[in-house]
Amino acid sequence: MKLAELQGLLHGRITGTVSDRDEAIREQVLPRPPLDSLERVEIYARMYLHRLVDAVAEDVPHTARLLGHDDFVETVRDYLREHPSRSPDIGQVGRSFGAWLRTRTGVRADLPDLALLERARSEVRTALDAPTAAAAALQSLPPEELPSARFVFSPSLRVLRLQHEVRPLWDALEREGAEIPAPTPAPTTVVVWRLEYKVFHTGLSDLEAGALMVAREGGRLEDVCATFAGEPEPAQAAFRTVLSWFADGWVAAVTSEGA
Amino acid sequence: MVPFLGHGIGLRTKHFPDLLEQGRRADWFEVITENFLNVGGRPRAVLDAVRADVPVVLHGVSLSIGSVDPLDVQYLRDVRALADAVEPAWVSDHLCWGTLGRHNAHDLLPMPFTEESLAHVVGRVSEVQERLGRRILLENVSSYLTYAASDITEWDFLAEVARRADCLLLLDVNNVYVSAKNHGFDAADFLRGIPVGRVAQIHLAGHQDLGTHLLDTHDAPVPDPVWALYRDAVRRFGRVSTLVEWDDHIPPLDEVLEQAERARAFERAVLEGTAP
Repeated sequence: MKLAELQGLLHGRITGTVSDRDEAIREQVLPRPPLDSLERVEIYARMYLHRLVDAVAEDVPHTARLLGHDDFVETVRDYLREHPSRSPDIGQVGRSFGAWLRTRTGVRADLPDLALLERARSEVRTALDAPTAAAAALQSLPPEELPSARFVFSPSLRVLRLQHEVRPLWDALEREGAEIPAPTPAPTTVVVWRLEYKVFHTGLSDLEAGALMVAREGGRLEDVCATFAGEPEPAQAAFRTVLSWFADGWVAAVTSEGA
Repeated sequence: MVPFLGHGIGLRTKHFPDLLEQGRRADWFEVITENFLNVGGRPRAVLDAVRADVPVVLHGVSLSIGSVDPLDVQYLRDVRALADAVEPAWVSDHLCWGTLGRHNAHDLLPMPFTEESLAHVVGRVSEVQERLGRRILLENVSSYLTYAASDITEWDFLAEVARRADCLLLLDVNNVYVSAKNHGFDAADFLRGIPVGRVAQIHLAGHQDLGTHLLDTHDAPVPDPVWALYRDAVRRFGRVSTLVEWDDHIPPLDEVLEQAERARAFERAVLEGTAP
């Protein structure tokens, strides 16, 4: 058997994508008591699943706890069939788990959103470093350049659109013995970010979320301000929001057309 | 030849507070390459702080040098970028395969020891060394199966890869012991088959005896039979940078450092002629 065919045989068996071909494995892998050929390959198959289950659990520990060990293992096994690892970094294997969980029936309604929040917190923890800009970076621009100012956001900033309010659930799971709240359906925007080595998350109003979306998509300050047009004091509301981005360390830099 | 770094340990998250806030250090540290590719935050801060004080080496687990998949060029670019930034004493990975059709099994699967495998691996090692701009070290893996197709020994295979590709070897003494028990060969034959000038690093670790086979778990102190084999390795290869791996059920830093000190003491005893 050529190398490519042999690797295909073993890889399929170990990753669970091929379940038959026992005879071919017996021909290619030598038995050695007390283990026969298939039992020797099975050692690798068990390690494959356990290693990847551990990797996903590291991303979403609270989700794993809510599911319970056996259900979590079975859930990850099904997930891996659709989302096998494509990255050299095993830490990336769980990156689609939350979104995939939305397609799974029979799980607690807010579990996918909890998984998305946990994964975002995990990503943010090791996101690339960037300097944080102070509000002075905006305030020091010449007045004529202010409308065209654009924001460069920190690589650690994540914006999640969730279908449930899962922050109380996450808080409860962080506290040993706390009562687990029931799922609360509510479209919610949650921002996750890091300051130094500490990870934070917070909810945004629809207005704040809209302004942040405009800015993240490359909109100018005047476009951001326009999202507050319906407010009683639109300019003040806009600047209050924009200044909070600086205060929370979300902004890495400010650019303007005159710069 | 690569420098002698002394007796080091793996850089692990559990020890970050000791390393970053207490400034504790080993002679040198080995980092898992993939854990630091395109990464910032605390892990990168710890790596930079440690690197400022002592040597660091990059140890990969996803090169998949023996796979029939094409080499992952983006991965190699990322490794090179990290190596250029960190300036490690060297870069290593395993003589194995784990990826097929870009599906990464995240395991260190053994190669069949055949001429076809040999030619395949040698060509890829040469390309990797060219892309990384440096010689690499390849490590022998623990294994639980033997291919019917293998017609040369593992140690001859390793030696021939190193000779033909002009790479260096990372001799994992625990892996030699585990594989020797699992496959019924003599670990001394393995050591004798490895050319002296090619071994640039040694690994030590613990394993578990599951009754039917030994499992390479890195979750326990180095056991006595592996220390004995380490002494034999030092007798054959002389002073070689040695590293204690501990990846699961990781104890406090002092306990891992104690294992590195034990390795230093065993090495000294062998070199001074006082070892049993």
